[in-house]
Amino acid sequence: MSPASTDPQALSWYEASARQRVAALADPGSFREFLGPTERVTSPHLPLFDLPRAFDDGIVVGRATLDGKPVLVAAQEGRFMGGAFGEVHGAKLIGLLRAALDVRPAAVLILFDTGGVRLQEANAGETAIAEAMRAIADLRAAGVPVIGLIGGRAGAYGGGGLIAGTCSRLAVSEGGRISVSGPEVIETNKGAEEFDSRDRALVWRTMGGKHRRLIGGADAFADDTVAAFRAAALDLIARAPAFDLATLEAEQARLEARIARFGDCRDATEIWARLGVNDPEAVPAMTTAAFDETAARVEEAHHDAR
Amino acid sequence: MTDWRSEARLRDERLAAGRAHAAGKVVPAGAAIDLLEAILRPGDRVCLEGDNQKQADCLARALAACDPARVHDLHMVQSGIVLPEHLDVFETGVARRLDYSYSGPQGGRIAKMLYGGQIQLGAVHTYLELFARYFVDLTPNVALIAGVSADRDGNLYTGPNTEDTPTVVEATAFKNGVVVAQVNQIVDTVPRVDIPGDRVDFVVEADRPFYVEPLFTRDPAAMTETQVLMAMMAIKGIYAEYGIARLNHGIGFGTAAIELLLPTYGERLGLKGKIATHWALNPHPTLIPAIESGWVKQVHCFGSEVGMDRYIRARPDVFFTGADGSLRSNRAFCQTAGLYACDLFIGSTLQIDLMGHSSTVTRDRVAGFGGAPNMGSDPHGRRHPSDTWMKAGREAQTVGDPLLMRGRKLVVQLVETFGDKLVPTFVERLDAMELAKKTGLELAPVMVYGDDVTHIVTEEGIANLLLCRDADEREQAIRGVAGYTEIGRGRDRAKVEELRSRGIVRRPEDLGIEPLDADRALLAAKSIKDLVHWSGGLYDPPAKFRNW
Repeated sequence: MSPASTDPQALSWYEASARQRVAALADPGSFREFLGPTERVTSPHLPLFDLPRAFDDGIVVGRATLDGKPVLVAAQEGRFMGGAFGEVHGAKLIGLLRAALDVRPAAVLILFDTGGVRLQEANAGETAIAEAMRAIADLRAAGVPVIGLIGGRAGAYGGGGLIAGTCSRLAVSEGGRISVSGPEVIETNKGAEEFDSRDRALVWRTMGGKHRRLIGGADAFADDTVAAFRAAALDLIARAPAFDLATLEAEQARLEARIARFGDCRDATEIWARLGVNDPEAVPAMTTAAFDETAARVEEAHHDAR
Repeated sequence: MTDWRSEARLRDERLAAGRAHAAGKVVPAGAAIDLLEAILRPGDRVCLEGDNQKQADCLARALAACDPARVHDLHMVQSGIVLPEHLDVFETGVARRLDYSYSGPQGGRIAKMLYGGQIQLGAVHTYLELFARYFVDLTPNVALIAGVSADRDGNLYTGPNTEDTPTVVEATAFKNGVVVAQVNQIVDTVPRVDIPGDRVDFVVEADRPFYVEPLFTRDPAAMTETQVLMAMMAIKGIYAEYGIARLNHGIGFGTAAIELLLPTYGERLGLKGKIATHWALNPHPTLIPAIESGWVKQVHCFGSEVGMDRYIRARPDVFFTGADGSLRSNRAFCQTAGLYACDLFIGSTLQIDLMGHSSTVTRDRVAGFGGAPNMGSDPHGRRHPSDTWMKAGREAQTVGDPLLMRGRKLVVQLVETFGDKLVPTFVERLDAMELAKKTGLELAPVMVYGDDVTHIVTEEGIANLLLCRDADEREQAIRGVAGYTEIGRGRDRAKVEELRSRGIVRRPEDLGIEPLDADRALLAAKSIKDLVHWSGGLYDPPAKFRNW
């Protein structure tokens, strides 16, 4: 394989597979997978629909070290059924999160790359989403930070967007997207006049990494390299918020203020203007360095609630 | 006494009738219907400019709204049937006969109307054929064309999408016809004169700018590793071996992958400066990395591409540009260039049969031809040699005096064995034959005839049809690269291995290519954003291709 496929400095997070991301993110050689593909724990439901299975059901889970500290890692494979949650996929994530309560690692990292719940096993998938959110709340209450990293092709949609909302901190890249309903779902339900899913610039303005960072929906903005996500993860672990009543009340207040302040905006550029961004139209084309400077001046992006 | 000036007199009558709706040459958009009803006569041959990209859409709406009692039985002669209005005129009776080239987006509806007898079809042409007939037996009486701006004297600036306009105007204006141009804007001085004002009779200021579809943009993010593998095989097994300097690429992900591999894989093979230097090509955004890396000497364009204007303006050494700095394209000249001055055409198709005939027709669509048949054919009128052309000629012809040898143009089909939705590309019988029967066409719409095809590249390997000595070898060579399709599985394994030993069928390993090396990491750009970076911010992609 060419060097660009393995060098974390050069390896594009967006381009990489779940396995490549995990291997390049963790300290070299430190990753140990649980229930890897050789165990062939596959979906019991997909054969009923005559659909192909994946030997890992589209998620890689295991332990590793990050800068010498023990972490547990889950990485979704967006290229298998859009990284969607099925029964096995969900159980592997929940098992990892519950194990963390016993193991007490320095952090749990979730590398989201998902369109949400797998339609073919929707009940199991929905249950998994709820259980994962519960498990994350337990972990955070126990003082273990849960960090979400979002920069894959499928983004973090549906239940993935909900789980992301419960994490201690999120890092996102420009290509990453965070939302619950996807662009096509909104268009189907509300019409193309409300949201034109083929206008990709609109999709990214509304759900993409830069917007999420500016409104404080994500806590770090990373370049599209594995190295940048690693640096962001280390930084976010170090400044995970406490999980107490004060934090939750501050988060509630922040969300209420957000809807009051921006609820009437028709486009993300209007929100950015109200946030004090001088030239909102220029945001999408900004380089990471220029964008970081812009985000640094936006107060909303540094709110400490979560 | 013989009347030698009847056409000229009729032209004067048309102009006089039209002037009632004009101030000088300028006609407001609201009067476009009145203008057309005044200048058109029943049975007129009319070119309603529909190009690959630029559409006279305001005039098309006006023509479709004309009163069929006044304007009827027109004979439409235009390259593109692209807008719904292009066919609406046949439903109202405004038009009856049709001669055209390409009908991509309207292919389904045109098939129905042909079947229902609403359209009397002359023929489906290649671009050059239709343009040729403009000067012989399909000369328009009235041309309705499109440009970006015009002055009050009718001097016309077409913008970078000049495309068919000069050809249409040449045939109409110099044979007693009337030329009506729609423009986005009337200005005091046009940026450059693409069509001199004395060839334009009326100028209509359109109610909204004409729409241009980004037809030639392929998003690198959607390229697969199979396409990367096929591109590697094409570069190493064909471009390098024949030393292809002058070429034309069809549109598609396979050819776009080749463009993106030149600065990486091509560089590694030491091919820079030796291949892919001179192009007849629309300004593909995926060519930007090769241009920026110094691979490309020059590119002549059929038309332009959305978002490429600023980039082209900044690279006049590479592109043909006007005194104003913007691209000057010309479909007729570029087609001629692709036919006579290029040594290779490579493109994709939907179906290939056992003789190598290929077609993009499916059962219910008459998509027409466009440029591929001219690009993808061996021009018998060619006389100048090149190493590439001669080498291909020697492979095809082994006997006879070398001084009397013809060279061969390389015509390469780059296809995956299974296409969209796992439909097999290789078939016993082309759907085009079924369609011809159903719609009463005398000729099946074959895009590239088997005897013009020299190579077929699939993910399984390269079949060199030049080296085949009889029909059986040809069939087995095609089966030999047809993978797991029915055609591929029907191969004579021993014969295919024999062909392989003679270099007629070549696998990736025969070319020294390891399929596992076919990694997206080889693409010089992996996203549209990468292309923007390569262009130094000059390429401005349309919204549908952005993810930022």
